[in-house]
Amino acid sequence: MIKTSAFKLGVAALALASAVATAGAADKPLAGTTLTIASQNDQFASVIAKLAPEFEEKTGATVKVDILDYGSLLTKTQADFVGHTKSYDLITMDIVWAGQYAENGYTVDLNDLMKRDAAELQLDDIYPATLKYIGQYDGKQVAFPFAGYAAVLAYRKDLLDAAGLKVPETTEDFVAAALKLTDPSKKIYGFVANGQKGPAVAQDWLQYNAQLGGSVLDADGKPALNSDANVASLKVYKELFDKAAPPGAVDYDWGGREESFRQGLVAMMETWSVGAPGYYDPTMSKVVDTVGISYTPVAKGMPVKYGLGGWGMAINADIDKQKQEAAWTFIKWLTSPEVHKEMNMNGAGSYIRKSTLSDPDLNKKYPFLPIIAKSFDNADGDYRPRIAQYPEIQDLLGTAVNSVLVGGADPKAALDEAQAQAAKLF
Amino acid sequence: MSIATTAIPSQRLPTRKKSMRFDDRRQLFLLALALPAVVYIAAVAIWPLVQGIGYSFFDYNLLRRGGAKTFVGLDNYVQVLTDKTGQRALINTFVFTIGAVFFEFILGLGLAMLLWRDGRFNRICLAFLLIPVTITPLVVGLIFRALLAVDYGYIGYYLAEWGITSPRGLLAGTTTALPTLIFVDIWEWTPLVALILLAGLKALPGDILEAAFADGATSWQRFRLVILPLLLPTVFLALVLRMMDAFRVFDSIFVTTGGGPGDSTTSLMVYGVKQGLQFFNIGYAAAIANISILCIALMAAAFTLLIRRADVKANEQ
Repeated sequence: MIKTSAFKLGVAALALASAVATAGAADKPLAGTTLTIASQNDQFASVIAKLAPEFEEKTGATVKVDILDYGSLLTKTQADFVGHTKSYDLITMDIVWAGQYAENGYTVDLNDLMKRDAAELQLDDIYPATLKYIGQYDGKQVAFPFAGYAAVLAYRKDLLDAAGLKVPETTEDFVAAALKLTDPSKKIYGFVANGQKGPAVAQDWLQYNAQLGGSVLDADGKPALNSDANVASLKVYKELFDKAAPPGAVDYDWGGREESFRQGLVAMMETWSVGAPGYYDPTMSKVVDTVGISYTPVAKGMPVKYGLGGWGMAINADIDKQKQEAAWTFIKWLTSPEVHKEMNMNGAGSYIRKSTLSDPDLNKKYPFLPIIAKSFDNADGDYRPRIAQYPEIQDLLGTAVNSVLVGGADPKAALDEAQAQAAKLF
Repeated sequence: MSIATTAIPSQRLPTRKKSMRFDDRRQLFLLALALPAVVYIAAVAIWPLVQGIGYSFFDYNLLRRGGAKTFVGLDNYVQVLTDKTGQRALINTFVFTIGAVFFEFILGLGLAMLLWRDGRFNRICLAFLLIPVTITPLVVGLIFRALLAVDYGYIGYYLAEWGITSPRGLLAGTTTALPTLIFVDIWEWTPLVALILLAGLKALPGDILEAAFADGATSWQRFRLVILPLLLPTVFLALVLRMMDAFRVFDSIFVTTGGGPGDSTTSLMVYGVKQGLQFFNIGYAAAIANISILCIALMAAAFTLLIRRADVKANEQ
C-alpha cells in the first residue's frame, strides 16, 4: 500500500514537474536550441547578426551567424554537405546554387512546410519571381528567398547632364554614352564592371551578355558558350573595358567596382540593388547628392527583362527533424513583414515583399525602391543558368572572359575553348 | 655417446635461446619505440598517398551522381596533359620553379659569400635579411598585391603613372604577371638560400682554404676549385628544398592573381586546389597532385645525379 502510494506520489510529482517545464517552454519553445547560419558577407549578414537576439528573446533559440566571403562560403558549406558534418543548420544560398542543391538533396525541400504555414508566410505578399528563382528547382523549394536583388543602373546625374545625355534605356545607348562620358585626363570613366578572373568577371559579363541578346545555354539546355551572339557581346564588353573603364577594372571584383563608383571615378555602373544604400551614405560615398538609380538597359527589340539575383535561406537536410523545425521557425521570423522591414531599415538592401518595397518609411529613406519593384515584376533569374554545372561553367567563363579583357585572346577562340570544356560536363 | 652428443647441444641450447630471446626482446622493444612514428607516417603520409593514387584512376566527383566512382584508367592523366589549362599549369609551374630557384641560388650564393666573414655588421645584416622568410607566403602575396595595385598601391600607382608599366599594372598583364610572382618568390626566399649556403661555408675546413691561399690560388680559383666543390652537399640541400617548395607554389599566386589573367599564372597546385576543393572533382585533382609529385621526384633525382657527377669530377681533379 505504502509502496503504491509512494509510487503514485512520485508519478504525480513528475507530472507536475513536466507540466511546469512545458509551461516554461510554452513562451520559449526553442530554449536550448542553437542555430548556426553560414552567411554570405553581404549587407544583410551583419543585420541578421544584430537582430538575432530578438529571435532569441521570442523563442529562446540562440542564433550564431558565421559570416564568410563568397568562396569560403561555397567551399565550407559544400564540404559540410558532402561530409554530412552538420556544422551549419542554415545556409544562405546564392540563386545560382539551386540546381546543385536540388540535384544532390543537400537541403530540406520546403514545399510541405510552405503549404502548411501558407497563411503565416503571407505568400501573396512575396514577389513570385523571388520564390521561383531563389530556391525553386525541379519542383523542389531548396531555399526560401530572403534577399532578392534587382540588377539596376547606378549613374551620375551631374556627369550625364554636363554631357547632355539622358539616362540610357537601350544597351546601344548605354555603350555610346559610356564611351562619350570617358575622359581619362580628368579620371572620369563612363563604365565599370568586374574584370577579375573567376566568378566576378563571369557574373558581370553574363548580365551584359543577356542584355545584348546572348545566352550560355541553347534551347535544349545544352551549353552554347561560343554562340555568335555571345561572341558579339564579348567584343562589346572588351571595347567597354578598353575604352571606357578605369584601368584597374580588369582586376575589380564587386567590392572594387562599388568603391570606384562611390569614389566618383565612374559615370555609369550596372550593379545589384543591394549596393545602392551605400551610395547615399555620406560616411563612405562621395556621390551622395549626384547619384541616380534607374533600370538596366535592354537591347533594342529585346523583351523587357531585368536581372534578378540574391539569396535564399536553406536548411541543412542532415540535421534532425526537431532542429529543422526550429530552423524553419527562424526563416518564417526573418521573412515576416515586420522583421523584414526592420532588416531593411538597418540597410540590409534585401527585398522580397511587396509590402516592404511600398513601405512609406523605407521609401523615404531609399528613393529607388520603385525601380526594384518594377524590376521584380519583370525579372529574369535564369540569365545565369541555375543548373548543377553552373560553378564549372562560371569558372570557364571567368577565365575565358578575363583572358579576352587583359590578354590578347580572341573572343571567338576563347569562347570556343570554354565551350569545348563545358561540353564535357554534360 | 648418445648422452654426450645430446648433452653438448642441450648445454648450449639454453645460452643460445637466452641470447635470441634477448635479441628478440630488443627488436620488439625497438619496434615498440618506433611504432608510434611508423603508425603516424602510415596514417598521415602513406595511406593518403596510396588513396590519392587510387582515386586518380576514377571519375570521382563528390558533387555529381551522389559521389559515385567509375573506373576510367589513365583518363584523368591524359585529360590533365591534353587539357589547355593543364598544359599551361605544367609549363607555368616549371617556368616559375626554374626561374625562382635559379635567381635565388645566384643571389643567395652572392649574399652568403658577402656575409661569410664573421663580424657584427654581418650578423646584424643577417638578422634583417631573414625578415622576409618569417612572413607567411599568403601574407607576402597580400602585401605585394596591395603594393602593386594601380589604384592605391605605393609601387603600382607610380609605375603606371610614369608609364613604366601598362596602366593596368604588373599583375594584370599576361606577360608580366608570372615574372612578377617569380620576383615576389625571389624576394621572400633568397635569404633562406643565403642562410643555408652560409652555414655550409662556415663549416668548410679552414686548413684547406689556407693551403689554397698559401699555394697562391687566385680568389676565383679558390672559389671554383676549392669552395664550390666542398660546398656541393649544401648547394644540393638548398636547391632541392627550394625546388620542392617552389614547385608547390599556391598561396602567393592564389591571393594575388588567382591564376590569372586568363591562365597565365595558374600553377599545378592552383589548378589542383580548384578542381579538388572547389569543384570536388577528386579523381581529376588526385591526378594533378600525382603528376606534381612525380615531377618533384624526377627533378630531385636529376639534381642528385648532377651533383654526384660534379662531386666525382671534383674528386678526380
